[in-house]
Amino acid sequence: MARSALRRLMAEYKQLTLNPPEGIIAGPVCEENFFEWEALIMGPEGTCFEGGVFPAKLIFPPDYPLSPPKMQFTCEMFHPNIYPDGRVCISILHAPGEDPMGYESSAERWSPVQSVEKILLSVISMLAEPNDESGANVDAAKMWREDREQFNKITDRLVRKSLGLAPA
Amino acid sequence: MRGMLLTLGSMLLTVAVVGNAYYQKKQFYPSVVYITKSNPSMAVIYLQAFVMVLMMGKITRKLFFGQLRAAEMEHLIERSWYAVTETCLAFTVFRDDFSPKFVALFTVLLFLKCFHWLAEDRVDYMERSPNISLLFHIRVVGLLTLLGFLDYLFVSHAYYITLTKGPSVQLVFGFEYAILLTVVVNIMIKYVLHTVDLQSENPWENKAVYLLYTELIMGFIKVVLYLTFMTIMIKIHTFPLFAIRPMYLSMRALKKAFNDVIMSRRAIRNMNTLYPDATAEDLASVDNVCIICREEMLGNGSSKKLPCNHIFHTSCLRSWFQRQQTCPTCRMDVLRIPANSSAGQQRAPGAVPGQQQQAQPQPQPQIPNWPGFPLGGGGPGPFWVPLPQQQQQPQQQAGTGTSAQSSSAAPSLGSTTTTSSTAGGMYANQTNQPFSIPPFAFPPFFLPPPPPPLPQADFSGLTNEELEALEGEERENVEARIRCLRNIQTLLDAAALQMQQYSAVVSSLRRSTRTTVTSTTGTDPSGPSVSAPSTSKAPHEVSGEAAKPSTSNQFQAPSFSKPESGDINQEATEAVKNGTVIDDSKDLVHQEEASSSKEPNGHEEIRRRRLEKFSKPLENCGPQETSNENCGPQEGNHETN
Repeated sequence: MARSALRRLMAEYKQLTLNPPEGIIAGPVCEENFFEWEALIMGPEGTCFEGGVFPAKLIFPPDYPLSPPKMQFTCEMFHPNIYPDGRVCISILHAPGEDPMGYESSAERWSPVQSVEKILLSVISMLAEPNDESGANVDAAKMWREDREQFNKITDRLVRKSLGLAPA
Repeated sequence: MRGMLLTLGSMLLTVAVVGNAYYQKKQFYPSVVYITKSNPSMAVIYLQAFVMVLMMGKITRKLFFGQLRAAEMEHLIERSWYAVTETCLAFTVFRDDFSPKFVALFTVLLFLKCFHWLAEDRVDYMERSPNISLLFHIRVVGLLTLLGFLDYLFVSHAYYITLTKGPSVQLVFGFEYAILLTVVVNIMIKYVLHTVDLQSENPWENKAVYLLYTELIMGFIKVVLYLTFMTIMIKIHTFPLFAIRPMYLSMRALKKAFNDVIMSRRAIRNMNTLYPDATAEDLASVDNVCIICREEMLGNGSSKKLPCNHIFHTSCLRSWFQRQQTCPTCRMDVLRIPANSSAGQQRAPGAVPGQQQQAQPQPQPQIPNWPGFPLGGGGPGPFWVPLPQQQQQPQQQAGTGTSAQSSSAAPSLGSTTTTSSTAGGMYANQTNQPFSIPPFAFPPFFLPPPPPPLPQADFSGLTNEELEALEGEERENVEARIRCLRNIQTLLDAAALQMQQYSAVVSSLRRSTRTTVTSTTGTDPSGPSVSAPSTSKAPHEVSGEAAKPSTSNQFQAPSFSKPESGDINQEATEAVKNGTVIDDSKDLVHQEEASSSKEPNGHEEIRRRRLEKFSKPLENCGPQETSNENCGPQEGNHETN
């Protein structure tokens, strides 16, 4: 099972290296273990995350692609759909049957058709348009709804931090 | 670094304690006594022993594993905590036996457990790493052999002690090591499977199945061991609190393994029966990359096509269906699709030409719309309505397969016969009227009621697949047999119904024709000459039928010839028209209505039941039936006229 997972991950890695999508860099942490990936995600333009480069790690299960990988930002993030510990809460990362927030239809869940590239692109679009109905980070969701200015201030600090700049 | 400092510190302390003792007592024996008597010294010695054990562990780890990966370390620490707390719980049960030796034994157990976990992780890692070195194999094989040997040693030791000295704390060790032994065996099997998989170039499809069964059997053994242990412990000592968590976990694992096996079996069965293999054209028409594994598919039967036309590798699809019964691409629920369409797709290519021909829809009867039909709405109703239905039935039966099923053509077609023959009888009566139905209207109406095909005595009507389905002791085989028997029952019911209709019709015909004949015999001596020219088209049909005379045939013949004879006795005709015949025909209509209204119900019932039963119709009918149905039209005319 994991044998085919390895082959598929290798194929995806090759695909990502040959035609990298814009704003995404991803690959295994080391060539020995293809089940742990590191990804760098650029904050989408025109959003409060613009300019930031956010590192994340992806952990693949042995039965990938039948089960979804787990994704966790390794930097500090403040976003309605990212848990305070960095775990990402998007529906395509949830296997059908598990629904932590109780709002997703099974049509938007994980299926083997998804790929690392699609996950990362979804994460970028999630950064651009937070879904404040699923409160992985309730504080962030509340602030996003009610006090956008404050939210932008925090994300601005995070963007600077991710670039290694001193806070403005 | 910290470990180094700790080790160094404990070494220094030990040296200090020993040196101090020796310095004070000057001799070996008194100094040993001094150290054992002094609690602080003993604490230092225990600490040293602990450090030694840790070092031993590290060396063994280096030897067998090299550097541990982060995930392995994480697992190890997580599991160690549970193991330590459980050991502490075990201490409370055996506080009477508490001694340094006891602690040492538990420590050894803990270490061995750690190595088992690590070995398990390592073997799992085999699947994930692109390159496995020879060193890896040597290490794993060496470690597994060593662990297996140690486990066996401890188990037999515990067994021996328990037998000779009665139950003691050794009981616990015995069970713990027995369970570790099952773990080793499990890892060993996995390792062998993985190694075989590694050797082969192509992915080994059945490996997952073997792994599942290994998991199931090992899980079962574990649960049995734990249950035995529980019972014995409760009888001898007390409730073993420390064994609850692992027991619960192993039970859950067993349940999961059991579920997995069931799901996997179901998935495999569905794969084999429901979905057709993708052909080369199918693959050529789409992107031939399997979306699950992102590898190319070749049209050699290794890929399957779902009802939604998405194509995947058989093995990929199977492992996905173990989790979810939806199409990975469009999420269509594959179990909700009526199975017969897909089964039909699959079987059609393999069917012999005769069967193919059978499966084709029969030409629908052309039902002319007669506005001037003399009987008006009441007459045609009962006769015409059932027709399309009855015509559909053979088609549907063409889809159903076994010899027993194919003979089910009998009820439907047979009833067509009854309908049309009574109709014929009535027309015969009606023809006495000068303005009656044009005879050429008959042909399209009298449709092929073929004689009931006889069930085949042997199994030639069954394909190999179906015969296989009937054999064996598996549940599905038994179900297939029951299905077959149910079909036969349905057919018998239908046949009984049909016989009743026959008898009803025949008796009514006798009555009606008797009157007709009496009223017409005198008027037309040339009655029996059926083939008189003036019958326009009808004689053409009628002429050949003498080969198979039926009761209705004989009785109707005289009246049928009425219109053609030039010198019709007007009075007799009038009498027939106004008098008894009309009444009689009305009577007949009533009866026919009654029987036909009963009949569609019967058919509906049979149809419905059959549809329910054959949600997966089998696609074969013997070639004989084809011929039967093809020659049906002529025979139908015989009977009807």
